[in-house]
Parts: sequence; C-alpha cells; structure tokens
Amino acid sequence: MVLLSAPRWLRSRLTDRFWRVQEVLKYARHFRGRKNRCYKLAVRSVRRAFVKSTKARREKKRILRALWITRIEAASLEHGLKYPTFISNLLKSQVELNRKVIADLAIYEPKTFKSLAALAQRRRQEGFLAALGDGKEPEGIFSRIVHHY
Amino acid sequence: VAKTSLTSPPWPEVKLPDPVEEAKYHAEVVQKVNKMIATGQYGRLFAVVHFASKQWKITSEDLIMMDNVLEAECGDRIRMEKVLLVGADDFTLIGRPLLGKDLVRVEATVIEKTESWPKINMRFRRRHNYQRKKIIMNPQTVLRINTIEIFPCLS
Repeated sequence: MVLLSAPRWLRSRLTDRFWRVQEVLKYARHFRGRKNRCYKLAVRSVRRAFVKSTKARREKKRILRALWITRIEAASLEHGLKYPTFISNLLKSQVELNRKVIADLAIYEPKTFKSLAALAQRRRQEGFLAALGDGKEPEGIFSRIVHHY
Repeated sequence: VAKTSLTSPPWPEVKLPDPVEEAKYHAEVVQKVNKMIATGQYGRLFAVVHFASKQWKITSEDLIMMDNVLEAECGDRIRMEKVLLVGADDFTLIGRPLLGKDLVRVEATVIEKTESWPKINMRFRRRHNYQRKKIIMNPQTVLRINTIEIFPCLS
C-alpha cells in the first residue's frame, strides 16, 4: 500500500501477520509435538532444521563416498582381493572409473566387476615380478662381506 | 641342500603364463568378440560415460539430470565422446582410460532445461544474533540417452 503522508503512516497496522506466520509454519507441518502448530516453538525448530540441512549437504558427499568404498570392499573380498589392492592396481592399469560407478557395477553387473578384479590381480602379479627383478646381484658391488681389521 | 624356512622367500611364488601363448589366446578372444559385435549378438548395451565432470552408468532410453547449464537448445542431439566402459551380457570393453571414438557412439537429446527446487542455505550462531538465510535454485538440464552403438573395429 502506498501511504502518502506521515499521519497515514502512523495509523497503519500490520495486516498480513497470518501469512508471515504461515511462511514459517509450512516448513514445520511434519514435525512432532507442539512445534508443528505453535509459532514460537516452530521458529526455533525450523531454523535448526535449515541449518542442519545445509551442513548435511556437505556431509552427504563424504557419507556416500564411504558407502561406495564399503560396497567395493565387500565385492572385491568376494573375489579374493582387498580394497586398497583393487583400487591401486586399477589405477596403475590406467582404468579411471570412480567409486560410484564401480559400486554400481558391483551391484548390477557382476561379470564386469569380476573382470575388473581379474585385471587388478594380474597387474598386481606383474608388479611383484617387476619389483623382484631377475634374481641376480646388482652391478657395481664387488663384495658383500665386511672385513673388520 | 635341505629346505629350511629361509630357502625360499616368504611370499608365494608368482608365475605369469607364457607370453607367446597368451598373445595367441588374446588374438583369438578379440576375433571372437569382433565377430559377435559384427553379427549383432548382443542384447542391451550399457556404457560408463564421463560427462559434466561426473561419471554416469547409462543404457539406452534412460534419463540423466545434471546440475548445470548446457549450451544446447532443447531437442538438440548430442554425441558423448568420453566413454570409459561399454558392456553387454557376454563381453565388456574397458577403456584405458577412454575408448576410441570409432568404437562407441553414444547419442543423447536435451529434453528439459529447468531450475532446481528452492534449496535453503541457513547460517545461525546462537546467542550472537546472527542468522543468514539464502534460497538457491541451480539450473538443471535433463538429457535422454537415445542409443549406444558399437562398431567392430577391435584389433
């Protein structure tokens, strides 16, 4: 409303209190107890609910990643591999699937997951053989025995 | 010489199969898979695609919603190029890290460009009379994956 003079301003009253209260109560309608009806209690609960939801949006990413990791660990143990082995060997074989997709494959495409586990196992064995080398002595060393005089 | 606990290393001995025989076996498998693809003996294909900085596991006729704007009008056909994995019932093709563009073709159409539901960001510090409330609506795009096709160009 456009009130054009000071006396009119002084005489104005708040007319949309109902809607201001409903704006808050509409977010509290599914709460338990008096906080879904009484404005004073609802304001506090709704404020806490909003703050918790903002913080939870950041935690959700961590929670979901932990869930995917648990699932991948369970699935790889079924194939005889541990999670760190599985993931590190997959990355060394240049397969860049993220944990969300590997967890989905473990649930819905078991054959594909089995082939990924076999790939990781094979890369692991090749890594061991590369690390062990030929079994010969390294060059440049002429004696391994220490003489004490 | 008698065998003690230190004659052989404590880890199990690992033997890889013979490389020549293995190469022959690999070539055979690749030939078989190529023939299967060429004759079309696969059912539904699924693919893992890297799109909008996320990886999606998709099949044909399914919907994808991303939390950003795409510079394409509604109804445009899009080809997704970064394919990481393609699979069917009997075989999977794993890319290291990506599969070739002449091997897979994933087509999608932009269906809808909307905003998300109003998400409320609130910060509150008790006893300090500090609260801030912000309503955020992110733009979203909905794509429908039309087809996933593979071509028999394995080697």
